Amino acid sequence: MATYFSRRNLDFLLYEVFHATELTKYPYFEAHDRETFDMVLDSATHIADTLMYPYYRDVDRNQPELKAGKVTVHPKIKEFLTAVGDAGLIGASFPFEQGGQQLPELIGSCMGFIKMAANNGMMYIGLTSGAANLITTFGSENLISTYVPHLLSGKWQGTMALTEPQAGSSLSDITTSAEPLENGSYLIKGQKVFISAGDHDAVDNVVHLMLARIKGAPKGTKGISLFVVPKSRLTDDGTFVDNDVASTGIYHKLGQRGTPAMHLTMGEEDNCYGWLVGEPNRGLNYMFQMMNEARIGVGMTGAAIASAAYYASLEYAKERPQSRRLNEKNLLDSPQTMIINHPDVKRMLLFQKAVVEGSLSLLMECARLSDLVHVTEGEEKENYELLLDLLTPVAKTFPTEMGVRAVSEGLQVLGGYGFTEDFPLEQMYRDIRITPIYEGTTGIQSQDLLGRKMTIKNGKAPRLLFAEIAKTLEEAQTYDELKPYAERLRKETGRIQEVTASLLPFAMQGNIERFLMDATLYMEMFGIVTVAWQWLKQGIAAKKAQLTLGDTEDAFYESKLHTMKFYFHYEVPKTKGLATRLLDTEVLTLETGKEVIL
Amino acid sequence: MKILVCISNVPDTTAKISFTDNDTKFNKTGVQFIIGPYDDYALARAVELKEQHGGTVTVLNVGESESDPQLRKALAIGADDAIRVNTEPTDSYFVAAQIAHIASQNSYDLILMGRESIDFNSGVVHGLVGEMLGIASYSPVMKLDITGNEAKFAREIDGGKEHLSAALPLVLGCQEPIAEWKIPNMRGIMTARTKSLAVVEPVSVDDSTVLEKYALPAPKGSCRMIPAEEAEQLIALLKTEAKVL
Repeated sequence: MATYFSRRNLDFLLYEVFHATELTKYPYFEAHDRETFDMVLDSATHIADTLMYPYYRDVDRNQPELKAGKVTVHPKIKEFLTAVGDAGLIGASFPFEQGGQQLPELIGSCMGFIKMAANNGMMYIGLTSGAANLITTFGSENLISTYVPHLLSGKWQGTMALTEPQAGSSLSDITTSAEPLENGSYLIKGQKVFISAGDHDAVDNVVHLMLARIKGAPKGTKGISLFVVPKSRLTDDGTFVDNDVASTGIYHKLGQRGTPAMHLTMGEEDNCYGWLVGEPNRGLNYMFQMMNEARIGVGMTGAAIASAAYYASLEYAKERPQSRRLNEKNLLDSPQTMIINHPDVKRMLLFQKAVVEGSLSLLMECARLSDLVHVTEGEEKENYELLLDLLTPVAKTFPTEMGVRAVSEGLQVLGGYGFTEDFPLEQMYRDIRITPIYEGTTGIQSQDLLGRKMTIKNGKAPRLLFAEIAKTLEEAQTYDELKPYAERLRKETGRIQEVTASLLPFAMQGNIERFLMDATLYMEMFGIVTVAWQWLKQGIAAKKAQLTLGDTEDAFYESKLHTMKFYFHYEVPKTKGLATRLLDTEVLTLETGKEVIL
Repeated sequence: MKILVCISNVPDTTAKISFTDNDTKFNKTGVQFIIGPYDDYALARAVELKEQHGGTVTVLNVGESESDPQLRKALAIGADDAIRVNTEPTDSYFVAAQIAHIASQNSYDLILMGRESIDFNSGVVHGLVGEMLGIASYSPVMKLDITGNEAKFAREIDGGKEHLSAALPLVLGCQEPIAEWKIPNMRGIMTARTKSLAVVEPVSVDDSTVLEKYALPAPKGSCRMIPAEEAEQLIALLKTEAKVL
């Protein structure tokens, strides 16, 4: 059974913190109840236990290969994709009429967490469901019926084809072209790089959701359109023919080696066809729907890998005897103590736990908001949308940046063994490193947070967030044990407001470089405080449970409260240093010429 | 063909076991429950047999409402309807009597269950049910096929397995590799909500076991690795520390 995540913690967050079953009061989700939620998670866990976790190391050691234009992946990938397709898990969140079961995203995000904790190298289905979601949301009936059922069955692969050799973070510079044809399709020509799952032999077809410019379109982001570009295209007689999408390179990566990252070349033989999704020149807007989901998905991957690393290092720490307690150093005849008894090892473990469970909570908060956006209307919907928009870059960044540090601490717990291939920590350390880069780097997310999300609608989004935090503070104040932490969080929200107020004048003066020069540090501070909010919410739920249980001991809730306190005492104080820098008038990076950096 | 599959509601194999009320009650707080793994094999084979031969699969549990999620899961896997005998399953004889009572009211061709539950592991319920109903029972059954009114099956015996055939009806205690566990798919999960789950009251049974106290086994000691070339050290430790020589 699973040793890479805690089902107890998942249930606690779902039912005691986020009250998942309340979603079933909305008509859209009324076909569900706790039993369906639990069964879905059981099925996901079973697949993760049997088809993913056992092959974590194997898919890393047997990387995809590109030979003679064909990409071969580990044979278990096909078995895995068939299993998730047969179980109906790829499109579980889709509407009934599109073959889904209208499962709340809150539950879907937990499935993602379980699967990525088991084996993040198998990152295929998130891409497929994202592509299918884009087609169903913006595509024509013909595109939906041609592609979506195959994608949701796990027999076809979906991808996001955005990046080009000269256009990574700067999508306005993409050059892949689309020439309209009389039959309504487009002739596609260009190159795409870093396309995850961009080609492989575990599926019958690969469907790229690709950004390209229609000939004559405006420059910049306003001239980008979205196309469906399949590896094999359907002809009028119902057969499939090669669509001139060539796999011209495969990247050999530091981690996540189970999924190929492809260099694709389209239209070398002028025979690559694409079909427009939605309206011309609106491709980037459409793609942002997928990217926002993908950003939360990447955050979830960070939290998931950190979870697997935490439980691996915890198990080791409980079994590894080394040295004596610091106060018993002279008792050389006494047996060595387990390393979990050393305060510094406890600190590393608690740090990991605080990052994993705090991150997961923030990500589930976002998933719940996504569900509420779906089922509400008017101002209520707009408010949920604004909150989700604000929290998305934070939920992408905190779990990935802090996840890297958490996995590093996990590796450290194992000492020299952690650096060897005898334990999985070295692989986890390699695997998680991409997550602060995927789907918009930490720098991009930070500029999005400070430059856009904090200011849209005259700062309505942060006002909504602080109002939500205020509700948590009010509830926490009713428990004596939580009062000091509520007070601490109240001060931290004030610190964010102070720093934000000091930076906004630069934006109003049009000095955007000054405004955003330390956006990444601002993000770090903002993330610490946001996750502190999530920990206080968990603390409230744990206190409630303890009062309900009375004298019945349950170490789980005590552990929750202890970790919450650890987070407030060890992580939250770091905001002071960050705020000091952010309020500092010395602008060394802005004024530094490149000749100074030798 | 009418198949009855009896399932137990047991703690997950990784659950931490503890007791309350002076060690007279199992502490269920934070414990995740599952369908008994051997029962799960029986259920999987029953669903396969239904797919091959037609008929119905009824799933039965003797337990309180906390068993309902496992019954729903069985329905999601492919059972057609469920019955729960609403009572605490106090011992094997009591449970067997409840199963036999339900079975006697419906003429099932096959009554399948795990070879044993994984909480109390008595492994006698199938034999008791067969005795109470006056039909043959076999366990542990590793392979099962049905042709007409005849069952052909293999069961594990000391040193190997024996291949048997017998006329239906039968009571069989099952184990792997009779079938592979099935996982509920989304469609099954959603349709399970609309399938019947009948709750019936138990029949009275005399002479139930009276529980006095639970106790955990002594914790296992830590493992020490002694290099093969240092056998003398191992002997010395067995004498001085383990005191078994």
